[in-house]
Amino acid sequence: MKWFLLLPIVASAQVTNQQLLNASKAPENWLMYSGDYRSMRHSGLTEITPANAGKLTLQWAYQAKIVEKFETTPVVVDGVMYITLPPSDVVALDAATGVRLWEYKRRMPPKAQVCCGQVNRGVAVHGERVFIATVDAHMVALDRKTGRVLWDTEMTDYKPGYSGTHAPLMVKDKVIAGVAGGEYGIRGFIDAYDVATGVRKWRFYTVPGPGEFGHDTWAGDSWKTGGAPLWITGSYDPELNLTYWGTGNPGPDWNGDVRKGDNLFSCSVVALDADTGERKWHFQFTPHDEHDWDATQIMTLLDRPIRGRDRKVLVTANRNGFYYVLDRATGEFLHGKAYVKQTWAEGLDDRGRPIRRPGKLPTAEGNHVYPQVAGGTNWNSPSYSPVTDLFYVPVREGGSLYYKGAADYKPGRRFQGGFFNNEQVAHDWYGAVRALDPSTGEMKWEHRLQVPPWAGVLSTAGGVVFAGTDDGYFKALDASTGRDLWNVNLGGRVIASPMSFAAGGAQRVAIAAGSGLFVFGLR
Amino acid sequence: MRLLFALLATGVYAQTRESNPYSLKDAAALAHGKQLYSYYCVFCHGMDGVSGRGAQLASTYRKHGSSDREMYRTIADGVPGTEMSGHWIDEDEIWKIVLFVRQFEAGAAAKRCAAPGDAARGESIFNGKGGCRNCHSKTSRLGPDLAGIGASRSIEHLRESIVEPDKAISRAYRVARLKTVNGESVRGILLNQDEYTVHVLDAAERIRSFRRTQLAELALPKESPMPSYAKTLQASEIDDVLAFLCAGGSR
Ligand code: HEC
Ligand code: HEC
Repeated sequence: MKWFLLLPIVASAQVTNQQLLNASKAPENWLMYSGDYRSMRHSGLTEITPANAGKLTLQWAYQAKIVEKFETTPVVVDGVMYITLPPSDVVALDAATGVRLWEYKRRMPPKAQVCCGQVNRGVAVHGERVFIATVDAHMVALDRKTGRVLWDTEMTDYKPGYSGTHAPLMVKDKVIAGVAGGEYGIRGFIDAYDVATGVRKWRFYTVPGPGEFGHDTWAGDSWKTGGAPLWITGSYDPELNLTYWGTGNPGPDWNGDVRKGDNLFSCSVVALDADTGERKWHFQFTPHDEHDWDATQIMTLLDRPIRGRDRKVLVTANRNGFYYVLDRATGEFLHGKAYVKQTWAEGLDDRGRPIRRPGKLPTAEGNHVYPQVAGGTNWNSPSYSPVTDLFYVPVREGGSLYYKGAADYKPGRRFQGGFFNNEQVAHDWYGAVRALDPSTGEMKWEHRLQVPPWAGVLSTAGGVVFAGTDDGYFKALDASTGRDLWNVNLGGRVIASPMSFAAGGAQRVAIAAGSGLFVFGLR
Repeated sequence: MRLLFALLATGVYAQTRESNPYSLKDAAALAHGKQLYSYYCVFCHGMDGVSGRGAQLASTYRKHGSSDREMYRTIADGVPGTEMSGHWIDEDEIWKIVLFVRQFEAGAAAKRCAAPGDAARGESIFNGKGGCRNCHSKTSRLGPDLAGIGASRSIEHLRESIVEPDKAISRAYRVARLKTVNGESVRGILLNQDEYTVHVLDAAERIRSFRRTQLAELALPKESPMPSYAKTLQASEIDDVLAFLCAGGSR
């Protein structure tokens, strides 16, 4: 009976396109994975400041009954929070108290394979619906008030190694997501589904087929198992009507002999028309990657003068160790600079293509190359603050031993062509949160961490940056200086990105750690 | 009936046998198993069954069961809630992989202990002059209990542990040397070091807790808490201690 009484708390309002377009203007909500279409991962709330952050206290916690990694970023709409649990469950919570309103539990077939854990990173919301892309490669629409399934569309057969792990992107009347599976020789794609019916409206293959642009960048039949998976949410520019997606590694990972060529559109960003899925441009960060340096980082959209000219840009700190500034209308390379130690390239040429150093590819004996296999940064979020005009990146310093091995494609099996070792070369590893000048990639400050973090960062208009650590701390830093303001030990690894919202007028900051979701505030 | 159906429906490659049709003498099957292992398992378990981030396979201990049937299930269905997912590999190939993993076990078991010394003399050195018991007993916290150690370690490993303990140090017994801002020096076993704190177990078996801000120096030298006995014990005495350890170790 009790849940019945709780129902009135649930927002009655629809989530409209207008609201999604103006998400950053209503900071009490957090309407999509990266906060707004520009993926700034910035909260406009100002209550928490460097002066009072030391007084942050736990407001509530939610304990999930899971052992898998908890990577969710909550979405909050008018007092209701939506989170995902691994493998592919959705839970609605009262955002003020953490009380559970409903839960959607998805039964997983036993062999749904994901390289690095049956994880999920969050939902998308629109109208009366909430959407999840599942580990068994379905797109599912649920009723926002009850969790009831409205439709359930198979994206593709999961058995050959396809899965859904990232939060979908909602644009107009379509919900968009791609498939993970870069370690299984999949052929990556991005799909758009009609929000009302679940019918597929378009598909873009991140590995072009015969006759398509870029097909000739794959030797022989290698395109069929080319990978280029999708596992992080895209961004959207409503004026250009373009969505931006970072794509993952080509398959097999560490042995490129069977896939000679640049291997488009792996390790790239693709700009796709939101209505048709048509490619407007692409930019490949790592042509013919052999280090598993997926470009599955959040693509941040900024407007700023570059060398004296106002530009609409896309900025990203890539797993390959370089920071990039691109013109997001054309894909033109504007600027690039290494933001961590890297030993594989002399630099970037004037079109942004890496100038490779010889002898830096994986070998049978193992080759020590920087950055490490998980990259200079990974999927965990960066953040841009319009208040400080700084771009914050969680970084991973250190190298890996890269081994080249054999690869033999069989559906549903790992197709990696090698492996790596970190333990033997971890002596100089460390982590940091770095603040970069968004135009130049120059470092403004650094906050060192003992261990490379799997936690993302969040900046707030109050002048605080939130970060997490692999040894279980959640912390607040001064956004202007990186000074440590506050920290708390949450007792489990932080493998998620923080977000902020307001409940009853008070600012809250939420982070998943271990198997719990923790919510902090001042009052 | 429903259960049966569910099992059949989920397992495309159903298991038809309870035990491995291949034997370790079958060189072709073993070679194929090794190749398959290098495709699908090396990533987490290492080619040697030791160096990966998954479970140590070069061991005779199996948390999830060591019968053929159990090993098959572990590989086919995975270990729920861990990185070890199930594998879509056909039955014949899984058996060959099991065979290759068995070879690790054979290797681990072949390194059985045998030493020329006198076990009774070794025991008195262990308890007396060697001072081994101070650290190695059921109750000491300063080193692992060595009861039964002979069953799982080779003689070379045991000898090296006594003569050159710094060569391979177990992760559970890393040494920390630190100096506080007040000038106190502490050497102990590292229990934790994280972003803000450091904990060590000192020689008196006290847990010492420090904030990093309290420390002037912190070093994690590559040394074992255990001293080398290369100079303090004679070769024959070391043989005696080894014989004692092989025969069962401290009781
Ligand atoms: C993604 C990493 C990963 C891959 C790939 C992987 N494993 Fe594992 N494996 C693990 C982990 C982690 C465990 C420990 C599970 C636990 O906590 O009990 C494990 C456990 C096992 C066990 C049980 C050990 C015991 O003590 O009972 C066996 C046997 C095993 N793996 C064999 C294999 C084989 C054979 C393959 C290749 C077909 C393979 N694994 C592939 C990560 C992996
Ligand atoms: C000061 C404490 C201390 C004393 C005294 C000491 N040990 Fe150790 N020993 C350790 C610690 C700690 C380890 C585990 C760390 C390592 O691998 O070095 C260890 C490891 C070992 C191992 C390897 C165990 C394994 O699991 O592989 C053997 C064998 C051993 N000691 C034998 C001896 C013998 C024999 C003596 C006396 C002659 C002795 N130890 C005296 C602390 C001690």
